[in-house]
Amino acid sequence: MSAARPGVVSALRWELRKLRAQHRARVVLLAALLAPVPIVVIIHGQSRPPKDTLFGRFAPDNGFALALLVLGFASQWVLPLLVAIVAGDVFASEDQHGTWKTVLTRSTSRGQIFVAKTLTAGGFAVVMLALLAASTIASSYLIVGHQPLTGLSGQVIGSHTALSLVAASWATMLPPTLGFAALAILLSVWSRNPAVGIAAPVVLGLVMGLVGALGGVEAIRPLLLTTSFEAWHGLLTQPRFTGPLVDGLLVCGGWSILSLGAAYVLLRRRDITGG
Amino acid sequence: MNNLLAVDAEGVTKTFGSVLAVDDITVRVAAGEVYGVLGPNGAGKTTFLRMLFGLIRPDSGTVRIFGRTWDEVGVGVLDGVAGFIESPKFYPDRTGRQNLAGLALLDGGTRPGLLEEVLEIVDLTDRADRKVGGYSYGMRQRLGVAASLLREPRLLVLDEPANGLDPAGIRDMRALVKRLAGSGLTVLLSSHHMEEVEEICDNVTIMSRGAVAFHGTIAELRRMAPDPGHVLATTDDARALAVAADHPEVTVAPDADGALVVTGPRPAVSAYVAGLVRADVELLGFTLTQTPLEALFFMLTDDFDHQTLVRPVREVALR
Ligand SMILES: Nc1ncnc2c1ncn2[C@@H]1O[C@H](COP(=O)(O)OP(=O)(O)OP(=O)(O)O)[C@@H](O)[C@H]1O
Ligand SMILES: [Mg+2]
Repeated sequence: MSAARPGVVSALRWELRKLRAQHRARVVLLAALLAPVPIVVIIHGQSRPPKDTLFGRFAPDNGFALALLVLGFASQWVLPLLVAIVAGDVFASEDQHGTWKTVLTRSTSRGQIFVAKTLTAGGFAVVMLALLAASTIASSYLIVGHQPLTGLSGQVIGSHTALSLVAASWATMLPPTLGFAALAILLSVWSRNPAVGIAAPVVLGLVMGLVGALGGVEAIRPLLLTTSFEAWHGLLTQPRFTGPLVDGLLVCGGWSILSLGAAYVLLRRRDITGG
Repeated sequence: MNNLLAVDAEGVTKTFGSVLAVDDITVRVAAGEVYGVLGPNGAGKTTFLRMLFGLIRPDSGTVRIFGRTWDEVGVGVLDGVAGFIESPKFYPDRTGRQNLAGLALLDGGTRPGLLEEVLEIVDLTDRADRKVGGYSYGMRQRLGVAASLLREPRLLVLDEPANGLDPAGIRDMRALVKRLAGSGLTVLLSSHHMEEVEEICDNVTIMSRGAVAFHGTIAELRRMAPDPGHVLATTDDARALAVAADHPEVTVAPDADGALVVTGPRPAVSAYVAGLVRADVELLGFTLTQTPLEALFFMLTDDFDHQTLVRPVREVALR
């Protein structure tokens, strides 16, 4: 007989061991760390900057602008994809390997397994975003430089403030990124298929982005997960406005709670007939 | 009283859409016994065992394990219970040892040295550091037994553990199960082979199309078994048939392939064979068609005979 009743911590340790051994997850973290460097070098070397993109005009010669240009690009589909590679797989891989029956016939409950997997996916999202942000900001800062930044209202922002604002802007990616992680969890628990768990959030993200760009959708635009990816704009205007950040936090929280709640109910009710 | 039962499943029913997979079955396994659940493909054995483990929720009925239900104690109902359903599954990218260590975490830890012990029992010590993805079917099956023993269970539930193994693997697996059963463990074993069960089980439930077709001890089952049948090969089948007229206790009739089949109580069959020799009919072969228990198993579970045979048999058996 087992001495102690295992808890979420035991399940979490097992999930982390599996994650550490997973190639895909390691590649994602490595890419988040290394890919910004060549991107920064290439844009720095451009003679014709992407003028139509936010901060594109100044990006080749201003490190802060460049870090924000990369941020705008990452939020299109890169973040949903990188986060879904783990979040969309952590549940469905048990279906793929037929191992639900293996883990659920031990001493850990479905609820504990659910929490452990969700924490794993969330933790991965945080680490991935932190690496991507740190690498992008550091390489832009070091390679392109830290001249004062021209804000969205044309105001000049001193280097010191600019650095904080750029870091803060990247930090605002966290709520929607976690929202996409929750969505990926729901889609993979529902579909029982890692491919769906990984691809569907990206597609949904693109669709939401498209819907948000249409006219006449003012009523639903604030409710889209992708809208929060733009909330940082308010940090770089004069005067600053943080309303969208607060709204975004609520919206992302709502998406996450609904997605995770539905995923939990699906997993709890499910008959494990496969494997 | 209920606490003495390792498994007390009562009136358990499960449907998948329109398929009635398990139909109101009641199974009671006393602590310490070796219990067999027998049935042909699709009888509902696996579905029943999944319900024991809480992998599937029954539509109705209750499942008690050591006196407790899932509703009362949640996953705690599996304390002291281990086993596997169909072929055991593991993480292919992890080694055998890593898989076991991970499962031990989900058990709340094991005593030191146990992991090595169970690897030794299933003879996987040498291969424990290879990835499970490269394991043969038989090795995975043995790792499944090791993963179960890691829980130091009081009740071991095995779903057709010898299924899909080669003859040597079947022999080893049966020997292992026998050894475990002999150690005082309660074992609940499913199978579609009568001979696997008759050797080691005290009690059996025979399932057919989701329902219980027989319920009782192996000894009771033996008493109900029909007379053995033998295929007879002779130089002169016509004369062999004629000789049968002097032996009213045996039945001799050609089967679908035209070969003669002799059925009857053993002494009468011996007398008939002696009669053949006296009548100068040369015997070329005399082989058992199926063991009596096998014959009974088919009678109990055959779709064709279901209505006519099983009903009366069940009434006798459940009396
Ligand atoms: N997930 C499912 N969906 C639909 N029907 C199912 C499902 N699982 C089992 N069944 C049906 O339930 C019945 C019982 O199946 P089960 O697997 O329990 O039988 P079994 O006795 O274990 O058979 P086998 O000897 O082939 O393993 C079968 O008719 C099967 O088709
Ligand atoms: Mg089965």
